[in-house]
Amino acid sequence: MPDCSVNYESEIEDGQNKRAIKCKFCSSVILTPSSACFQNFEFDLPLITQTKNNDANPETEHTSLFWVVKDMFTFYNVGFSNAVGNTKFLTCADCEAGPIGYHDIPTKISYVALTRVSHGST
Amino acid sequence: MAKTYDYLFKLLLIGDSGVGKTCVLFRFSEDAFNTTFISTIGIDFKIRTIDLEGKKIKLQIWDTAGQERFRTITTAYYRGAMGIMLVYDITNEKSFENIKNWIRNIEENASADVEKMLLGNKCELEEKRQVSKERGEYLAIEYGIKFIETSAKASIRVEEAFFTLAKDIKAKMEKKLEASNPPKGGHQIRATDPQKKPTSWLSRCTLL
Repeated sequence: MPDCSVNYESEIEDGQNKRAIKCKFCSSVILTPSSACFQNFEFDLPLITQTKNNDANPETEHTSLFWVVKDMFTFYNVGFSNAVGNTKFLTCADCEAGPIGYHDIPTKISYVALTRVSHGST
Repeated sequence: MAKTYDYLFKLLLIGDSGVGKTCVLFRFSEDAFNTTFISTIGIDFKIRTIDLEGKKIKLQIWDTAGQERFRTITTAYYRGAMGIMLVYDITNEKSFENIKNWIRNIEENASADVEKMLLGNKCELEEKRQVSKERGEYLAIEYGIKFIETSAKASIRVEEAFFTLAKDIKAKMEKKLEASNPPKGGHQIRATDPQKKPTSWLSRCTLL
């Protein structure tokens, strides 16, 4: 699978996602083409796999490339985790892999990390 | 921005824990040392999109997934629910017997016109079956609801169940809208006012 962080620019067209955004693991469609806007900022996203008995202090990684979704019902298929503070984490609706991004409760804006998803045709 | 859907339905999956309400095609493996971040915090709800009679329908689905027992599920949980999937495991007699308790709980706490459907899950495990298909059908008739046997493995029928439930909600909604607002020629019935800015799903559930 091509790493989208290497060549992510080709995925952007008019500031939006050119192709469908899918789960890296099961190919479930998360967002259809041209439904999210690209944004570059830094966020520490928890790793998918964590060491046990470390719930209070999950391991994270710096993530900086995001697809921004303003209305949660724009998602084609997605899962929302329970809230952790002001954040809900996003998962694949089918295989529940995640976090693939996060949802900011106060602003109701969702962010999908480019490195946690794949891009392709629906 | 233009709305990307025609209808939004809030659905609940209800039943005993372990009935396999979530259709899982693939899950991250956990072992003695590793766990997944998501399984630790749990999933609140899912959004799924289906195409029904040329309309884009968004389903917002809550799954009790064994975190709760029917005694603890109250009015707040049912608020705004337009459809409820009652799920039991065909290999687990107890989960079938509990459906009656779940229905009683729904009658006491949910809106009276919530659309219900009965699902007998795990039908791929025929050799372990404890609840016959006929008993499922009979129970569904008793409560005047639809019934289907599904398999999380053969996800097609799970999807079919969601389609059926969504279709019934849509039909009920259109009937209600028609009754209160007779359509003029070529008038399109919409569950939501497309001019309005999207607000929370609670305020959009016009039926309830």
